[in-house]
Amino acid sequence: MSLPKPDSALLILGHGSTENPDSSQPSWDHAETIEKSEQFGSVHCAFWKEEPSFRQIWPMIEEKEVYVVPNFISEGYFTRQVLPRELGLDGHTTEVGSHTVHYCDPVGIHSRMTDLLIKRAREIIDEGVRLEETCLIIVGHGTNLNKKSTDAITAQVEAIRASGAPFAEVLDAYMEEAPFIADWQTLTDAPTVVVVPFFIADALHSYQDIPVLLGIESEPTEAASQREVFRQNPYHFGDRVLYYSSAIGTDPSLSEVILDQVEYFDEHYRS
Amino acid sequence: MTLAETLIHLLPRGDSRRFGEVFLEHLEDGTLRARHRHDRMELEGLEELSSPQELREMAKWDTKGEYRPLKTAPNLISGWVTSCQDSSEFLKRLDAIYPGVFATWAAYEKGTHDPTPLRDTLDRQTGMYRFAGSITDQMANEIMRETCAKGCLRTIAWPISSECPTSRLKRPPQDIPVICTEACTFAVSEARRLVKEAYDKANPPSES
Ligand code: SF4
Repeated sequence: MSLPKPDSALLILGHGSTENPDSSQPSWDHAETIEKSEQFGSVHCAFWKEEPSFRQIWPMIEEKEVYVVPNFISEGYFTRQVLPRELGLDGHTTEVGSHTVHYCDPVGIHSRMTDLLIKRAREIIDEGVRLEETCLIIVGHGTNLNKKSTDAITAQVEAIRASGAPFAEVLDAYMEEAPFIADWQTLTDAPTVVVVPFFIADALHSYQDIPVLLGIESEPTEAASQREVFRQNPYHFGDRVLYYSSAIGTDPSLSEVILDQVEYFDEHYRS
Repeated sequence: MTLAETLIHLLPRGDSRRFGEVFLEHLEDGTLRARHRHDRMELEGLEELSSPQELREMAKWDTKGEYRPLKTAPNLISGWVTSCQDSSEFLKRLDAIYPGVFATWAAYEKGTHDPTPLRDTLDRQTGMYRFAGSITDQMANEIMRETCAKGCLRTIAWPISSECPTSRLKRPPQDIPVICTEACTFAVSEARRLVKEAYDKANPPSES
């Protein structure tokens, strides 16, 4: 255990949005949980599209040593290019002005995410539903431009299958590439289907776009925080039953995964 | 000096300061208090917000209930007050309203945080924003006039390019300045839009 670290700061990085008010909320929520646990001298958030921005953050942090954890779902363009560039990082540990900055892996690639996805799926289905008759679909964005973007999800799907969790099937599906989530009814013939979005926040994709692709909304709704009535599981399609979870990144346990990434850093990258 | 100590240095006991649209007071009994400056004459009826979380939620919406992504837009809602004794906690609350704005000023004044020229910010962009770097000075002025001056309270501290001379901003005695040391995502998006618009105008789609 390398925690607590009362002389270090924790910085959580999020994407944020200039349009969706819910995008940054999970990062703030996890920061608040960790701050209350008093594991760090201070806990901060910074965002690509909101304030404080990555470029404004260094003057706010007074501890010399800073652990930076990207609250991102996968490795890729953001974690490899944008975040290091904007924060002035060039490796696992970088001296930035008066700070010594440790750049941890993004939350989404931590092995603990597998248990979290299984826990989430179990939580939302009703009592009495048999996992042996249930197909779990992990849904991501997907894009034909970047093959890497699906790697995080296929890795999770394989890990869930290997875990021995007794789902009838575990599948991956995407918004913008095959297998398409819009085809969920033909991807499996299990009577019960649970869909868990592998996203950080209940923002545009998981709250507004995917419900339309699943057929549970006919058009994109307002942002989650601007809606009065939350959706009610389950949804019935003929004799089949569909459960739709909120984004995995909103699970309160994500704050523990953020801390896990700090410990992983100390064990594997710290010289 | 820590940031909280710097804040107390700039807002001594018995004094008040203007901080963007917020009115700050340090009462004789040590209480630190903030409210919208429109509410500075009257405390009665203001809703007491007592945590950074409550203040962040307040600052998220404008009077019409629309999302407010730019925290220094000149449309902070009024009708609230927040007060506490502890200067670090008070700074956290101010950061919930204007994230990082106080720290930016403190570091700028100390000389440990230099403004980034607009062209350096734009030239650094990749992906869909990579063309933003080819703006003309005229477009840069348009961004400063239309996006910044009309939609934001910050005073710009950055030059357009590193060759342009800039003078250091000074703190008016009654203020804690709200300054911009680097173009934000709105200015970068606007740069991209102006470049794209000019390109499309110069290269109209052909008939065939
Ligand atoms: S670039 Fe600076 S001054 Fe202009 S709108 Fe953005 S934050 Fe405000």
